[in-house]
Amino acid sequence: MTQCATAYTVQERILHDQSKGSANPYRATHPRLFRLFDAFDGTTPVVDVERARWFTESMRETAGYPLVLRWAMALMNIAKKITVYVDDDQLIVGRCGSDRGRYGILYPELEGDVIARSLPSLLDEGRESCPLVIDPEDVRIYMEEVAPYWQNDRCFREDYVHHLPPEIREVGYRDKDGYIPRFVCNDTCTYRTSLQWVPDYGKVIRLGLKHMKEDALRRLDALDHFSPTDTLRCRPFLEAMVMVCDAIVLWAGRHAELARAKASAEADPGRREELLCIADICERVPEYPARTFHEAMQAQWFISCFSRLEQRTGSIVSNGRMDQYLYPLYRKDMDEGRLTESRALELFDCLWCNLAQYVDVSLSAAGLASYDGYAHWEAVTIGGQTQEGQDAANDLTYLLLESRKSSPMPYPDLAVRIHARSPERLLLEVAETMKVGQGYPKLFNDEEIIPLLMAKGVPCRDANDYAASGCTEVRCPNVGAFTAASHQINLCAVLDLTLHNGRMASSGDLLLGLETGDPREWPDWETFLQKFLMQLGHITRYTFAAVPVIRKIRARHFAAPLLDLLHEKAYDDCRDIHGEEKIDKAVYLAFFDTIGFATMVDSLAAVKYAVYDEKFVTMDKLLEALDADFSKEGMEILRRRLEKCPTFGNNDPYADSIGLAVERYMQEYSDKYAPELGLQMDLRTSSVTANLPHGKEVGALPNGRHAGTPVSDGASPCHHADHCGPTMALLSNYATKAWEYPHRAARLLNSKFTPKCVEGEEGSLRLVDFIRTWRDLRLWHMQVNIINRETLEAAQKDPDSYRNLVVRVAGYSAYFTELSPTLQNDIIERTAYESV
Amino acid sequence: MAQSDIQGLVFNIQHFSMHDGPGIRTLVFFKGCPLRCRWCSNPESQSGVEELGYDREKCLRCGTCLSVCTRGALSLTGDGLRIDRTRCRIDRAPCVRSCPAEALRLYGEKMTVGEVLDEVEKEAPFYRLHGGVTLSGGEPLMQGEFVLALLREAGRRKLRTAMETCAFADRELFLEAASLLDYLLADVKLMDDARHRRAAGQPVQVILDNLRAVRRAYPSLPLHVRTPVVPGINDNMEDILAIASFAAGIGAARYELLPYHRLGLQKYGYLERSYPLSEELVLEDELFQRLRTAAAEICPAQAVSDETR
Repeated sequence: MTQCATAYTVQERILHDQSKGSANPYRATHPRLFRLFDAFDGTTPVVDVERARWFTESMRETAGYPLVLRWAMALMNIAKKITVYVDDDQLIVGRCGSDRGRYGILYPELEGDVIARSLPSLLDEGRESCPLVIDPEDVRIYMEEVAPYWQNDRCFREDYVHHLPPEIREVGYRDKDGYIPRFVCNDTCTYRTSLQWVPDYGKVIRLGLKHMKEDALRRLDALDHFSPTDTLRCRPFLEAMVMVCDAIVLWAGRHAELARAKASAEADPGRREELLCIADICERVPEYPARTFHEAMQAQWFISCFSRLEQRTGSIVSNGRMDQYLYPLYRKDMDEGRLTESRALELFDCLWCNLAQYVDVSLSAAGLASYDGYAHWEAVTIGGQTQEGQDAANDLTYLLLESRKSSPMPYPDLAVRIHARSPERLLLEVAETMKVGQGYPKLFNDEEIIPLLMAKGVPCRDANDYAASGCTEVRCPNVGAFTAASHQINLCAVLDLTLHNGRMASSGDLLLGLETGDPREWPDWETFLQKFLMQLGHITRYTFAAVPVIRKIRARHFAAPLLDLLHEKAYDDCRDIHGEEKIDKAVYLAFFDTIGFATMVDSLAAVKYAVYDEKFVTMDKLLEALDADFSKEGMEILRRRLEKCPTFGNNDPYADSIGLAVERYMQEYSDKYAPELGLQMDLRTSSVTANLPHGKEVGALPNGRHAGTPVSDGASPCHHADHCGPTMALLSNYATKAWEYPHRAARLLNSKFTPKCVEGEEGSLRLVDFIRTWRDLRLWHMQVNIINRETLEAAQKDPDSYRNLVVRVAGYSAYFTELSPTLQNDIIERTAYESV
Repeated sequence: MAQSDIQGLVFNIQHFSMHDGPGIRTLVFFKGCPLRCRWCSNPESQSGVEELGYDREKCLRCGTCLSVCTRGALSLTGDGLRIDRTRCRIDRAPCVRSCPAEALRLYGEKMTVGEVLDEVEKEAPFYRLHGGVTLSGGEPLMQGEFVLALLREAGRRKLRTAMETCAFADRELFLEAASLLDYLLADVKLMDDARHRRAAGQPVQVILDNLRAVRRAYPSLPLHVRTPVVPGINDNMEDILAIASFAAGIGAARYELLPYHRLGLQKYGYLERSYPLSEELVLEDELFQRLRTAAAEICPAQAVSDETR
């Protein structure tokens, strides 16, 4: 008999004490963190147009040059003209825009038309979900100086939508210009320039940009003037490399000047000293190799910040393996007495505050839907293995876990790589950090990820060195070269189409899928499943067919010289990473995403159970109930019986075997058709927050789900359907993976515990056992929410007192009170009940 | 009959239990208990036969159950379902399976040792170094043949075993079960025979003697003694310290106090029984913490080493 008294997480206790007037205990030990944090905490993000303005100004003047060079010229223009900032109290300097708290910037080359449509209304009406503010003067600048240039298909989004074959466009959007997504087969390329990415920061720290520029100059010198390849491809590419090095060094130098100017005006001698130190560092890095830990941190931030100016990386550029590339200088400074742990923590705090202030501005309907709560996740990867396959945990790994515990923000987005030889200490400290209750760290499984990468052609050394990138993706920074974001398939919409002969309950007579016939006439379950798979194949075909279009159009619109400079294969081959032609020796890991996996499995299982096996309802009655959204007399009783059918998440072969059949079909599809695309097309099950908008479009389903409500997230079971607890949910995930194929990638898995379950040292040890088994089951990813449902309910009622409540959303964490009410409810519903 | 075919009455198998023995554990709830603790939070565990529970709040009054009952034991009144418990034979309980609202539930299912352990073994990948199966209840020792067969078969399947017991049982049976266990949890509620009889329906002396005998016979079997602290029953320093001293005296590895809660209250309603205690009783948290601190000074509250985990 389990007896319960409520237990609380560290985060819950801090918030509770704060509401009674006592301060966050970390304020005493991390004074600078909280001085910085207080200055932007709760500010509504400002939209800054400077980046868009200087980018556009240059692009207007460089028509005719090769795109990669134009991009470098535009970056040079930005580096020269954009306002630079040295924030009060900061030790790591650099921003991409406004210093009025949280802020974001604009990418007109991506979605100039959407921005032009949205900015004026942002000014007039604001917006309810994820509000943003903008100065009237900035709107004027944008509308007059920026917007006109990007009209008439000059921005990617418009050009792409207009180039889509009409049948794909029709399934994708409600309107011909693609502003209103249908969320059946949904593009994700129109609101991000590139997939989540990780550049090789270590290279800049070790070598410095001057060295890299000199190498590019040497290569330029050695070009053969009579070779068309050298003159047409290599020359402009290498010139772009040189120019981007110069641009960053110039921009860093402007920070040095400003810091020096601020120092001479500074009255406080302590801060004056700091400013002079900042000036020295900005003069040194990233031009030259970093000599100290502080210099390495500053070099990393300059590169990461400049990458934001270069392109909109979906959910923002990640931080890579920080405990690896920063370690040599950390060790050196510690050994030589230049650095203490508390100083290193302070520098990390400074970086986290920089990350926290930069938000990903989503203006399109699809973008906003996927990134609820100003979502951005610049994953910081720690742990894992070295390139040589040895355990990689070091002092900095543990220091970063420590740093995560004291942060009142959803930053850093900490990701730990776990492998078969991860030390006991790492597992325990991971468990203890999870118990703070903010949903960190998320876990990545080397035992699944590395073999898959190697199976797809990534060399061992690079596979061992992968980094988490964004929510659940991974990158091999010098090898992977696929940057196009592909489509999401709404599995529940596919079922809706199957039930309605290629139409959806919400789309009337419009034919969106394949006419598979009337389900009433199907004699058995095997026929039903076969029709569903035909429908699924039909929609999957669109996602595959869109990939070459996306690649071709992207190549006309985007280049990323900074990314190229830091990508060994792109740099060697003089080919831009967004280009259509493949980079020599690079590996192209594309994917297709599925949304609503558990809802689909449960619904199919319910059809099998209720209609064909137990026969307590006919297909006719079932369809009638679905079309009426269970609203007529007696239908609620049917709905409740349907809810009781076997479900995914309980290690029940009845449901899991159906999930496996669908997964196998998708991987077989990829096995058969991806070679035609010349790419790896990996099946992913990683919805982020897209399970909400995708659910909105889907009618009532046979698992008893009402029309329009959210579908399940990632590869997690449906809410309340996993009545056998988190261990069985993991086993169901294991049981639904088609292990005989390698065409799979991230599966996003939310696990949930009450604080009581993992209380005390014994609780930590049990959590470690849970993690070990997750690892042995070779599941790709896992994140753990440890919180009391009551805390979330209290936060909904009294958002002011819970402003700093951080919860795990999907592959990332965010402030609970900044999420849309629908998403808040979704998270409350998924929160564990205390077992009785 | 083969060991794995022996049947017993089980009312739940709960995966991912975190508070009933070392590591991650699967709990098997045996039906039937010799005690009648007035605060019992699992009233459905007490009787040794299958029972039908009915949640009036959840009931949709849809009548689906009436149509499937072969005994005519159910009728629908303005106040919900009426169960004629003299007619009801349970008999695979079609009413429970057909109930769309989960308002009807079946407490108790005849399962073989093999069936129980097949379900238990699903969780085995999570047991790692310490976890395993915990037999709970009810009182496992009420089903002697079944519990021994289950423990032997668990041993054959290389599962680590724990048992939660009230220790009110036949001495020989208890000792034999103990010989098959890796970890033992036992509840002691009061040290005084008469008061124990009033609170739990049986004297305590048998319990205390059994625990002493087990310790003597199996000194290396970790013993984890627990006391539910119940207002008006034993929420005072004198009673708790007496039990703590007993636990320390027989060399318990761990003595744990569990705070009283009323989470089982609703289930009395489902069984059409009344709650034996006053519903207003509250355990003062401050008092509980004081008792816990004091008890911990006599006998450790947490596992002291890996051995006892």
